[in-house]
Amino acid sequence: MGIRFKNTILKVSISAISILAAILIGAIIIASVGENVFVAYGFLLRGAFGNARAIGETIVKATPLIFTALAAVFAYRCGMFNLGAEGQFIMGAIAASWISATLLPFGGWLNTLLSMIIGALAGGVWGAIPGLLKAYRGLNEMIVSILLNYVATLFMAFLYSGPLMEKNIPQTVAIFDDVKLTRLIEGSRVHTGIFVAIGVMIVASYFLFKTAKGYQLRVVGLNPTAANVNGLAVKKMMVSAFVVSGMIAGLGGAVELLGSSYRLMAGFGLGFGFDGVAIALIGQLHPIGAGLVAYLFAVLRTGANTMQIATGITTSVVDIVQAVIIIFAVAATAIIALPGVKAIVNRKWKGAEQ
Amino acid sequence: MDMFLNAHFIGSLLQSTLRVTTPLLLVALGELYGERAGMINIGLDGIMTLGATVGFIVGYITVNPLLGLVIGAVAGSLINLIYAYSTITLRSGQIINGMALNILAPALSIFMFRQYFGVTTKLIQGTVIKPICVPVLSDIPIAGPVLFNQNPITYLAFVLAILTAIFFNKTKPGLDYRAVGEFPRAAETLGINVIRKKYIACMICGALAGLGGAYLNTCYIGTYAEGVVAGRGFIALSAVIFGGWRVRGLILATLLFGFTDAVQLRFQTILPVIPYQILAMLPYLSTIAALFIMRNSGLAPKANGVPYSREGH
Repeated sequence: MGIRFKNTILKVSISAISILAAILIGAIIIASVGENVFVAYGFLLRGAFGNARAIGETIVKATPLIFTALAAVFAYRCGMFNLGAEGQFIMGAIAASWISATLLPFGGWLNTLLSMIIGALAGGVWGAIPGLLKAYRGLNEMIVSILLNYVATLFMAFLYSGPLMEKNIPQTVAIFDDVKLTRLIEGSRVHTGIFVAIGVMIVASYFLFKTAKGYQLRVVGLNPTAANVNGLAVKKMMVSAFVVSGMIAGLGGAVELLGSSYRLMAGFGLGFGFDGVAIALIGQLHPIGAGLVAYLFAVLRTGANTMQIATGITTSVVDIVQAVIIIFAVAATAIIALPGVKAIVNRKWKGAEQ
Repeated sequence: MDMFLNAHFIGSLLQSTLRVTTPLLLVALGELYGERAGMINIGLDGIMTLGATVGFIVGYITVNPLLGLVIGAVAGSLINLIYAYSTITLRSGQIINGMALNILAPALSIFMFRQYFGVTTKLIQGTVIKPICVPVLSDIPIAGPVLFNQNPITYLAFVLAILTAIFFNKTKPGLDYRAVGEFPRAAETLGINVIRKKYIACMICGALAGLGGAYLNTCYIGTYAEGVVAGRGFIALSAVIFGGWRVRGLILATLLFGFTDAVQLRFQTILPVIPYQILAMLPYLSTIAALFIMRNSGLAPKANGVPYSREGH
């Protein structure tokens, strides 16, 4: 077996074991508040897979998470933490909403397409700020991008309760019906946005692992000093990675607006950025892994709603489970990297081969 | 009359500056204790949320907000042990673990709150710790309300800051402590138990972050709302950088951020023409501007964020 294949198996098993262990912790929490674990998780599964509507709803919930997770993967591969995907997501949605519902005099597919492009650009601009400040001014990109999340959220609130408000309701006007992304299944909200998400996932994966530029980006991420010595334009690369990361998140915001929410209102985009980072880490910082984990998170979310309605157990149990997955995955990766454990793992691999 | 009004205005503005500075200063001091031992913790915001929730619930049940503060600090310290174990013993990445706390702690908080109060939209009112109003002295214009009519925790925060400065600069244990963040290997050869110091640093950091969070719900506002922390953990984190890892810098940085917040809150009432959302952006934007102007990263402890192992792997 090749080393790469072994590494992949190791990484996948780390994630899988962490997920199972965290679900067990969730079970313990549910049992500790005096509920029946099997009944609760039964409702959770029914809520996520019970019928066509449930399956569709899970995909609807997975779509934005795939975008923010890919945004996190992209920046991380260039050695930076983009903790501002939430803000970029929101800015993308704001731009898309404004362009689509207010500015463009025509509807139809061209409106949809332009709204998505402008949404991605807006996210890219919002992502450029921490990228530029990091590369040319040495500011901590995590702090800057996080602070910008709050600014974006407040800006959105200003718009939907001010200039873009619909009559007296604190929300923006809905986009036109013929601009909305097409629904795929009768009786379900699932829309074509999932194809956009999967498309970005495949392109990102191809770019990072099959192109020269993608390779350079990863070199910068692994060792910026060496990359600099070898003549790579490290600073430019950092800024572009942050811009692309922001564009992915911004496109996600536009897709969420065009396919699911149709308008901006309080709570839009809330938590998607941090969730994206978590998903990216559990997905072992690979676009495909991130996509799969985003789906898993969506399953937990959608299922948790059904569980809460049926049993009264709050959805925050699922949030705890998600956080515990990260902690386990991080700890497991670290344990395997410890010198003593590493030796044992290597010996086991050798033993298995003989 | 006009003069008096102005004095009154300035006095109450400065008074509220100190009120909103208090949690920032407490949490920034916590992070200073962390980073002086090489532990960067971006999970402060999450820990504050837990402190705020635990503090509120305990204060509500026992009708004793002071106990709420203490238990809030204990909760912060305990949850930060997860970060400590994962980063110190397992030597995993500090940033990732901080992120994990930012997701775990709020989730735990919401779970506990809903478990106790149920899923409710009703505003629940807790008991708050009242400011100490020194008679006569608090009537002095400007200085009176600022210095002699403050919450006890505000006084505590500033006393703690002064003690911290003395500890780090004037005492042997303080210098030993700093060595852990600068040259851990050298510190170890001098007989300092680096691993233990780092654990202690994390417990202090967690406790102060929890205390800062609990302050919000037991001193600042008496009602509970999800999202009450609103990024204050990240602003405190910025204050440590902006303040150049020095206590004096930290005090100035948090006062500046506190002042911005107090000003924008005041403007929300006296200038209703400006949408409050635009004003509310000010603390975040001014934090970025402050970081932009002061590039202090060179002053950071040298082994900040670097995992430590005795064997040298």
